[in-house]
Amino acid sequence: MWGLRSSRTLAIGSAAALFVVVSLLPVLYMFALALASPGAWAATILDDRQRGLLINTTALGVGSAVFATAIGAPLGFILSRVPLRFKSGLRVTLMAPLLLPPYVIALAWIYLEGTLRETLPAAAVAALPDPYTLGGAIVALTVVFYPLSMIATEVGLRRVETRLEEAALLVARPGRVLWRITWPLVAPGVISAALVIFVLSISEFSVPGLLRVRVFTTEIFTAFAALYDFGRATVLGAPLLAVSIAVAAAAAFHVRDRVFVTSRGLYGSPIVPSEAWTVTAAAFTGAAIVLALVLPLAAIAREAFRADSMAAVLQGSSGAVINSLVAATIGATVITAIAICLGYARARTLARRGAAVDVLWIVLFTVPSTVLGIGLIGVWNRPAPWGWFYGTSAMLVIGYVARFLPVAALAVAAAMRSVPTSQEEAAAVSGSRWLRTMAHIVVPQIRLGLLAVWAIALILSFGEVGTSILVAPAGESTLPIRVYTMTANAAPGQVATLALFQSLVILGPLVVVAIVLSTRNGR
Amino acid sequence: MTAAFLRLIGVTKSYDGRAGVAGVSLDVAAGESVVVVGPSGSGKTTLLRLVAGLERPDAGEIWLEGRTVAGPKRNLVAPHERGLGFVFQDLALWPHLTVRRNLEFVVGSAAVPKVPRTERIEEALRLCRIDAHLVDRYPHQLSGGEQQRVALARALVGVPRLLLLDEPLSSLDPALRVSLRGELASLRRQLQLTMIYVTHDAEDAAVLADRTVVMRKGRIGPDSTTGA
Repeated sequence: MWGLRSSRTLAIGSAAALFVVVSLLPVLYMFALALASPGAWAATILDDRQRGLLINTTALGVGSAVFATAIGAPLGFILSRVPLRFKSGLRVTLMAPLLLPPYVIALAWIYLEGTLRETLPAAAVAALPDPYTLGGAIVALTVVFYPLSMIATEVGLRRVETRLEEAALLVARPGRVLWRITWPLVAPGVISAALVIFVLSISEFSVPGLLRVRVFTTEIFTAFAALYDFGRATVLGAPLLAVSIAVAAAAAFHVRDRVFVTSRGLYGSPIVPSEAWTVTAAAFTGAAIVLALVLPLAAIAREAFRADSMAAVLQGSSGAVINSLVAATIGATVITAIAICLGYARARTLARRGAAVDVLWIVLFTVPSTVLGIGLIGVWNRPAPWGWFYGTSAMLVIGYVARFLPVAALAVAAAMRSVPTSQEEAAAVSGSRWLRTMAHIVVPQIRLGLLAVWAIALILSFGEVGTSILVAPAGESTLPIRVYTMTANAAPGQVATLALFQSLVILGPLVVVAIVLSTRNGR
Repeated sequence: MTAAFLRLIGVTKSYDGRAGVAGVSLDVAAGESVVVVGPSGSGKTTLLRLVAGLERPDAGEIWLEGRTVAGPKRNLVAPHERGLGFVFQDLALWPHLTVRRNLEFVVGSAAVPKVPRTERIEEALRLCRIDAHLVDRYPHQLSGGEQQRVALARALVGVPRLLLLDEPLSSLDPALRVSLRGELASLRRQLQLTMIYVTHDAEDAAVLADRTVVMRKGRIGPDSTTGA
């Protein structure tokens, strides 16, 4: 329809080139290095110390995936099927922990444990779990990632064609229908989400780093930042990268774009639990919100208000705050701009090839942040012209784009598919060029989706620490890097003040969205 | 007149203030085949869903075999306790179950002992002329006509007291449609089924109807007929 010589070719070609250079090349670089040194690879696997890392890393992934699913899946069911008031607001509130930087949640649990130690009687204190353990890291990551399972379950249930349940309801009780018809249709999505949580958990750096749990990601950071051993960092990254790619690919084949696509039957969901379930569901939802959001934030706030002067703490970190806001804003804007072109191309691609692209994007999103950081250094720390960017703040933006472009493109592609090709064709036969069609026909129809993608990219970039701590130029810091490094040598009150500020910046707009949605929907 | 097998008394159902069905009263005798015709949006499908218990009436009552099954804003008898077979317009075959498993789910839900259960499935497969080699296939591995037969077999395997069909032939090509329509008519005669068949095809009505009910804007029109 548009032809190769249209502006579409230039736009998509440029976006694809940027994607390859920024997101794909660092991962390929790490992969190539791993393949080029099989001896080191074997030593890494067979070494006792590394085997311990492997066990810890696996336990962290499995534990987080199991517990996050155990909490998230019932919440997804509740959101899709149980009639609760203010459901839109509840949904946004329950999703909030996913948007907070994981280390903020870990910090909160540390402070919470400290608070309980001060207030509980001695006998009870002895029974308190120690947050500086593998179990503590699992708890923190469960809180961070349960919304993924919740979203996958809710979306899966909404996608179940109403007729399939209705046809079963004519011959079977609702419980049997849920178990035999609904669950098998939803299960692949729930299991895929669990696999993604597993990969994201073993890829997470800040929580195990903060809680001093030795896993591959922390070891990679130590090898690079403390021992200045780039080769060792690379070798350590190889098994993690391999496991991440394998598991994420398995999950991606099942889940693909399901997380972003919803559809409802004509008459709505027929299997609604009885009224008696409402009380239990409300209690479970309330408990989840208190434990995952209210308590952690209260613990951080309590610690922050102990700081001598919150204003002074913020003023002392104003450079990092401004750096973070500027880099994250530029990053989110660049990510969204490239994602529009890539998402459009994906939406207009044939099903099979497009599915392969989805898988690639999901896999890239789950690449561990420290592995990606090492890859970015390997690719960009070179003589000019590549080296022009290395050692400048541009590396922060490149890091954000490398990490979050794949998931943004996936989301934009899902939104683009809602605009029928026929609308573009109608514009084309009316004489409109591609850019004009995009600007006046396609983009306006998905502007809210694009705004959401931009906001989420901004939030994720604003909280990013694993990649940026490796690629940030010397002497320059972002807020997450400052918080992370201050945990080692500053008073808890100062760290809590910065964590609280960061949480408020992220959650402020979210609260507004929750209130608006609840008011608009009236439920 | 004998007592109606199914009786609707002033049944009303609206969606967001828009009437789906407005004060419909209808009697269906045992063994009778009623074909409901009307344009899109006239309330035909809503009528079937009300009878099946998939929707609650806003007003009016529905009686089945002398028992009230639904009253204003409530269903007194759950759908699975009404003893119905339903063929949906899009068939709604369960995609994760094979043909046999689709049928087994129905008889399994009715707690039928294992031996009669197998016999029932075999009987339904035979009645609907489903080849043995198809029973272990999944719905997406079947042609449109085969899927149609499976949907009918699934509706019949529970030995329903009342069969509801919502434009089951609408998506088929004309030749297959004529063929399956004929088979359905013969099956109905053979099993002496009580049936409500929704369509907007006059040919369907001519072949299958003892009586034709015409619906417009949620109401039964005056041109409804008593068939042959």
